[in-house]
Amino acid sequence: MIVEGAVLAIPRANIDTDQIIPARYLTRIDAAGMGEHCFDGLPDCTALLASRPGASVLVTGENFGCGSSREHAAWALTGRGFRAVIAPSFARIFLENAYTNALVPIALPQPVVDELARADRIAIDVAAQTLRADGGEPIGFELDPLRKQFVLGGGFLPYLAAKIPSVRAWEAAR
Amino acid sequence: MRRSLFEKVWDAHVVEELPGGNALVFMDLVVAHEITTPPGAIAIERDFGDALYDAGRIVAMLDHVAPAKDTATALQAQTVRTWAKRHGIRFHDIGDNGICHVLVPERGYVTPGMTVCCGDSHTCTLGAFGAFALGIGTTAQAGAMLSGCLILQRPKVMRVEVTGALPADATAKDLALTVIATIGFRGGTGYVLEYTGSAIRALSMEQRMTLCNMAIEAGATTGIVAADATTAAYLAATPSAPASWTAQAADDGAEYAATVTIDATTIAPVVSWGTNPGECVPITGRVPDDADAASLAYMDLRPGQPVRSIEIDQAFIGSCTNARIGDLRAAADVLRGRRVAVPTIVTPGSQAVRRQAEREGLHDVFQDAGALWTHSSCGPCLGMSMGVLAPGMRCVSSSNRNFPGRMGEGGRVHLAAPAVVAASAILGRLASPSEIAAASSPLVPA
Ligand code: SF4
Repeated sequence: MIVEGAVLAIPRANIDTDQIIPARYLTRIDAAGMGEHCFDGLPDCTALLASRPGASVLVTGENFGCGSSREHAAWALTGRGFRAVIAPSFARIFLENAYTNALVPIALPQPVVDELARADRIAIDVAAQTLRADGGEPIGFELDPLRKQFVLGGGFLPYLAAKIPSVRAWEAAR
Repeated sequence: MRRSLFEKVWDAHVVEELPGGNALVFMDLVVAHEITTPPGAIAIERDFGDALYDAGRIVAMLDHVAPAKDTATALQAQTVRTWAKRHGIRFHDIGDNGICHVLVPERGYVTPGMTVCCGDSHTCTLGAFGAFALGIGTTAQAGAMLSGCLILQRPKVMRVEVTGALPADATAKDLALTVIATIGFRGGTGYVLEYTGSAIRALSMEQRMTLCNMAIEAGATTGIVAADATTAAYLAATPSAPASWTAQAADDGAEYAATVTIDATTIAPVVSWGTNPGECVPITGRVPDDADAASLAYMDLRPGQPVRSIEIDQAFIGSCTNARIGDLRAAADVLRGRRVAVPTIVTPGSQAVRRQAEREGLHDVFQDAGALWTHSSCGPCLGMSMGVLAPGMRCVSSSNRNFPGRMGEGGRVHLAAPAVVAASAILGRLASPSEIAAASSPLVPA
């Protein structure tokens, strides 16, 4: 799986999920329509967001996705066309939500992220766990080996469904 | 091997080790509310024949926007209502409801040693009972309802020892904010915070819940406190009075990945000045000289400004952090016989809390003071209903998040304990309860 596209850099730390998708949009019973409101809660960013229409790789600051557990944040980002987020660190729940929604979460040291924030386009080989910025040298990154499967092939709920017999056996023996 | 309390609970629930350091972890209880549950419930119905692992392990309620405010939120509520009915899931509809993290413990649904998850980040509140309780996303919650399990990376454990005793004017909220300021707003990421020490043992269950509630605000997976006689007494007084549970504690000499010690005697009432809960100072203090520029700009403050000079437009006493009966009593003690100077909303954490408050006459105290006394809901805490801020409005709040826009687009939030919120409501600026107590005469004629 190759993710390739224009970069949107938002070099701020601690962008929480309320800024990614404010609560006033959490009124649906499905994931539809969230992309329209992606980053509606981020102060002073209208021009920045408009400057990179069609960006699919987000490069941002540490602790991205902190705060509310709302998976709507992942839905808003994918709905807006993002397929990968590169940051020095992620909040736990956001990280889990990113994987289950095939939004590739790439954690890299701050100096590398700073460098990538200046790139125009980034190409990511998810299976090989490498990326290239503007055709430069490949940079390796780590992914959770189990959750990587859910990015490459989906199937988070089917994976759990297949575990049900062993869960029942475990519970019976408890 | 000597184990921490968290490790004991975790080990007792691992069904299977999975690749990459993951584990399949059994969930004793799944809590479901109307904002995050519907897409997962619908996915299970559509793709898995509507089969739940065990409907008896789910409890559902309406809390975030309850009752519904428009067609869209009515559809969310109705989706959860019909789904719960179809499966025979314990369900708390409006009138019998409350904020999930208030209702679940008060009904006795959580006991020591349990695992609990909910599509809500403040599920960590329930760690107060010696349970492993954590917030997760909608799809993970659906997975837990489908298979009984979560897939989790085993968190590290940070021992947070709080020695000594809290001063009389300091609260669990001040302790919670101090913990965040001490370890850092993201300093708990990848950890469970295991709270211990004499100051923790002295806390009531409500106070332990306030403390654990804010573990997520340090980025932690959850917080946990060992069950003791205080826990037992609380559980015995709940409607379901669970009989069978075993109190567990960390082994002596258990090893922790990190340890932090906080001296409770140094804790003072604090208030947040910035845009994350780690940005807080004592109520008698000033906005820091090295304050983050973006936070200052959003909050419209300057470095060195005394926080008690900050004027407010609204006050909110509510949320899963500070809307239990003890919190309402603390706020009422400050408001009794006084008048609020700004619009003030008091929203009990559950309908049961509301009824108890009314039995004690607290609703009269609040309304005599000019505050709005509401039914239970999350309300303005998340800027969805019942007191959303207008751009530029400044609110002092007993809730847990002061992120930009949290209580309404462009709104500014200062987090504090209920008594500080009440004092601030009276004076129309951030204020310490001691300023009210010191006033020579009531601010309103009797
Ligand atoms: S009161 Fe606020 S923080 Fe607590 S569950 Fe409700 S919205 Fe979330």
